[in-house]
Amino acid sequence: MVDKSNIPLSVVDKLRKRVGIALRHGDRIWQLLTVGMGVTVLLLILGIGWTLWQESADARSKFGLVFFLPTINASWNPVLDKFQAWPFIYGTLITSAAAILLALPISLGIGIFLSELCPSWLRLPLGWMLELLATIPSVVYGLWGIFVFLPQVVQPIGVVLGRTLGSLPLLGLFFAGPIPASGASSLAASLILTIMIVPTISAVTRDVFLAIPRSQREAALALGATEWETIAQVLVPFGLSGILGAVILGLGRALGETMAVTMVIGNSAGNTLSILRPGYTMSSIIANEFAEAVSPLHSQALIEIGFLLFIITLALNLAARFLVWRVARRAPQETHG
Amino acid sequence: MAIAHTLSQPLAPPPVSIRSAEGLAEIESTEAVRPVKIDIRNLSVFYGKFRAIAGINISIPAHQVTAIIGPSGCGKSTLLRAINRMTDLTPGSHAEGEILLDGENILAPGIDVVQIRQRVGMVFQRPNPFPKSIYDNVAYGPRLYGIHRRTELDEIVEHSLQRAALWDEVKDKLNQSGMALSGGQQQRLCIARALAVEPAVILMDEPASALDPIATLKIEDLMQHLKEEYTIVIVTHNMQQAARVSDYTAFLMIDDQRAGRLVEFGTTNRIFTRPEKKQTEDYVTGRFG
Amino acid sequence: MTPGVASQHHIRARRGYARRKTSNAVMLLLAGLTTALALVPLFWIIGYVILQGGKYIDPSFFTQLPRPLGIAGGGVLNAIEGTVLLVILASAFAIPPGVLAAFYVAYYPNTPLGIAIRFSTDVLSGVPSIVIGLFLYALVVKSQGHFSALAGGIALAILMLPTILRTTEEMLKLVPPALREASLALGAPEWKTSLSVVLPAAANGLITGFLLGLARASGETAPLLFTALGNDNFDFIAQVRSGLASGQNPIKILSGILSQPVDSLPLTLWKYAQQPYPERIHQAWAAALVLMVFVLSINVAARLWIVIRTLRMQG
Repeated sequence: MVDKSNIPLSVVDKLRKRVGIALRHGDRIWQLLTVGMGVTVLLLILGIGWTLWQESADARSKFGLVFFLPTINASWNPVLDKFQAWPFIYGTLITSAAAILLALPISLGIGIFLSELCPSWLRLPLGWMLELLATIPSVVYGLWGIFVFLPQVVQPIGVVLGRTLGSLPLLGLFFAGPIPASGASSLAASLILTIMIVPTISAVTRDVFLAIPRSQREAALALGATEWETIAQVLVPFGLSGILGAVILGLGRALGETMAVTMVIGNSAGNTLSILRPGYTMSSIIANEFAEAVSPLHSQALIEIGFLLFIITLALNLAARFLVWRVARRAPQETHG
Repeated sequence: MAIAHTLSQPLAPPPVSIRSAEGLAEIESTEAVRPVKIDIRNLSVFYGKFRAIAGINISIPAHQVTAIIGPSGCGKSTLLRAINRMTDLTPGSHAEGEILLDGENILAPGIDVVQIRQRVGMVFQRPNPFPKSIYDNVAYGPRLYGIHRRTELDEIVEHSLQRAALWDEVKDKLNQSGMALSGGQQQRLCIARALAVEPAVILMDEPASALDPIATLKIEDLMQHLKEEYTIVIVTHNMQQAARVSDYTAFLMIDDQRAGRLVEFGTTNRIFTRPEKKQTEDYVTGRFG
Repeated sequence: MTPGVASQHHIRARRGYARRKTSNAVMLLLAGLTTALALVPLFWIIGYVILQGGKYIDPSFFTQLPRPLGIAGGGVLNAIEGTVLLVILASAFAIPPGVLAAFYVAYYPNTPLGIAIRFSTDVLSGVPSIVIGLFLYALVVKSQGHFSALAGGIALAILMLPTILRTTEEMLKLVPPALREASLALGAPEWKTSLSVVLPAAANGLITGFLLGLARASGETAPLLFTALGNDNFDFIAQVRSGLASGQNPIKILSGILSQPVDSLPLTLWKYAQQPYPERIHQAWAAALVLMVFVLSINVAARLWIVIRTLRMQG
C-alpha cells in the first residue's frame, strides 16, 4: 500500500479545489442575490409609502385632516399657500363611480357572452381584441378624446342629459348643465374611463364564469331553466365574489388613470356637483401642477394627495385579496360528501 | 292539500319479485300489456363524425324502473342523456331516429327542449346542489314556472323533500346551505329538486356511485317508492344494483365501430336468469365487464 | 301524477312560458350587443389615429429635432431617441431584480418572504403610475437637483417590475423539476443550474412577459412628467458622436446622457396635444400613430409568439 500522505497535490487538483470553493461561494452569492432582490421588491412598497409620507410632512402638520374633508369653500390656492384637496377627491370619486356604474353591466354582458354564449373559436380572438383595447396608451385615448370623442359623443350626450335630468330635484344637482361646448367635463372623463376599464373587468368576469363547474349548469338546465335563467340565477350568484373582485380591480385602474382623464376633464375645480361641468381629479392636479409647483408647501400638498392615492389603491388591493381568499375557502366544500 | 301519496302507502306488487317458473310465465304475459312511457326507435347519437350509440330500440314502460347496464364506455350515459336532450349541450352532437314521449317525438325539429326538461328530470352522478339554501334549491324549479307565493312554495318544498325521503332530516334547517349536507343527503336533495317540477320521468345517471353503501341503499329504496308516481330510468355499472332495483333491464355493448348497441331488453328477472343472448349471459354472470 | 299542484304547475308553465322565452332571447342578444359595443372604440381609435396620423407623417418626422413654432417641418427625433433610451434603462433596471426575485418566489412560494414578495408585487402593480413618478422625484430628482433620464428610466422600471416578476415566476414553475434535478445530480451548483438550465427552458415565456411589460412602459406618460420632464434638444446619437470626437471618456459621455432630461413619444404627445397651434396638433397625431403602432405591434408579436410556441410544442 502506497502511503499517499506524502505526495503533494497536483496543480490540477488544487485548481479543482479552488473552483469548487468558488462555485460553492457562487451559490452563496446566488442566494444572496435572489433573496436580496426579493427584499428589494418588498422595500419598494414600503419605500414609496414612507417617502410620500415624509415628503408631505409640512403640509400634513399645517393642514391636518381638514385637508381631505368636504368643507364649504374648500379651495386650492397656491398663491396664498392654502390647500384643500376635497374638490379633487370629489372629482376622482364621481368619475370613478360613474365609470364603474357604466362598466359593470357592460363587462358582465361581455363576460357572459365570452364564457357562455359565443362559439369557442371566437372566444380567443375576441378576448385578444379586448386586451388590445387595454394596451392603447392613455395619452392616445386622451388625444382621440379631445378631438373626436368629446365633440361627437360626449357633448351631444351632455346636452341631452342636461335637458332631461338637469331639472329633476336632487338628481338634477348632478346634471346641472350646461356642458361646455368643447365637451370637457367629468362626464367625458367618466366615459373614457369606462372604455378603459371594461377590458379588465370583463376579462376577469369571463374567467370567473369559465371556472364554474359544468355540473351547476347541467343541474339548472335539467330542471328546465332557459340559458339566461341559468346564467342569472345560478352562475352569477355562484361567481359573485369573483365578479366583485373584478370590479375592485377595475376601480383601482380607474382611480390611478391620469393622462386621458386630465386631457378631457377640463381641469377646473368649480364648486359644483355636476358631472356635466369641468372637473378635476387627484391625479390630474398632480400631473398639471407638480412640475411647476409654486412653493415647497405647494409641492408637499400635491405629494400628500399622491399619498392618499397610494393608500386607497393599497386598501383596494387588500380588499380584492380578501375576496379571493374567501372564494378559495368555499371551493373545497363542493367536493366533500 | 292535494298530495295523495305518502311513503306509507302500500305498493303495487312488483312483478320481478316472483322468480318461480309460473311467475315467469305470468311476467311474460304481462310484459306486453304495460303502457309505454318512452318509445325509443332506431336512435343513434353522433358526436361530430363519431357515432356513440347506434340503432337503439327500447320501449320504456310507465311506472317502472328500467336499468341500462353494460361495460364502461358502451354509451349508457349517452342514451340516458339523449332522453332529456342533454346531449345537445355537447357541441357538434346530433341525434337520428325517434324518441317518443307519450307518443310525441322529442327529437323533432321545433320541439322546445326547455319544455322537455320539465317533463323529464335528471339526477346526476355527483350531487350538484346549488350554493343556495336547501329551501331555495328545491324551490328553484317551481319559481322558474312562476310560483312565487310563499304558502305554495312551502307546500311544494315539503312534499318534494318528503318524497325524496329527506324531509325529516332537514325540516328544521331549511335555510342552511344545501352544500353543507352529507353526500347522500345532497343527492336526495337533488332528487327532491328534480321532483319539485313534477316531471313524468326521472333519469338517474349512476345516482349512487359517489355514495357510501348506506346512502346507496336509501336511494335504491327511494326508487321503489318513486316509481308509483314516476317512470324511472337509471344507468348503473353495478349489476347487483340493477338486479335489486329495476323491473326492466337494457343491456348495451359496443360494436366494432365503438358504437353502443342494444344487445337485449326485457324484464330484469328474465335478463338475469334466462338471457337470450350469449353476450348478455356472459356479462351478467360476471365473465367480463 | 299527483293531481292539484301538478296540474297548476303545468297551466302556469304554459302561460308564463312565452315570457320566459322572450326574456331569454332578449338578454342573450343584449350580451352579444355589449360585446360588439365594447369593440367599437377599439376600431374607432385605431382607425382614426391611422387616418389622421398618416396624413401628417413623413420621413423628417423620424429624423429631425423639433423646430421652433412658426417654422414648418421638424420632427420628433428627440422623443424617439428618448423613448429608446428610457426603455433600455427601464429594462436594465427591471429585468435583473425581477428575474432574480422570481427565482426565490418560484422555489420558496410559501415562506414568509415568498408570500410577502408576491403580495408586494400585486400591490406594486396597482400603484398609480403618477405616484411612482412622485416617489422617484423625491428620491432621485430632488437629491440630484435636476430632472434626468435616469430618474425616468427607474420609474418605468418600477412599472415593468411586477409584470416581469410574475411572468418569470409562472414560467419557472412550468419548467419540469426533473430538468433541474438532472443538473443538480450532475454536481452543478444551484446558480449554474438556474442560469444555464432552468432559465433557458423558461426563456420563451420570459420574452413574452418582457415584451408585454415593455409595451406598457413605453406608453406611459405620468411617471415621466416630473422625472424625465422632456427635452427638445435631446439627441444622444449626436451627443455620443461629438463626445467621442472630442475625446471624452465613454463613462462621462454616458453619465452626461443619463443625467439630462429627456423626452419620450407619450410626453411629446401630451405636450403637443395641449398647444393651440395646428402644426403641433398634427404632429401629435403623427406621434400617436408611431406610438400606437409601436405598442400594438409589440403586443401582437408577444401573443403571436405564445401561439407559435404552443403550436410548436404540440406539433
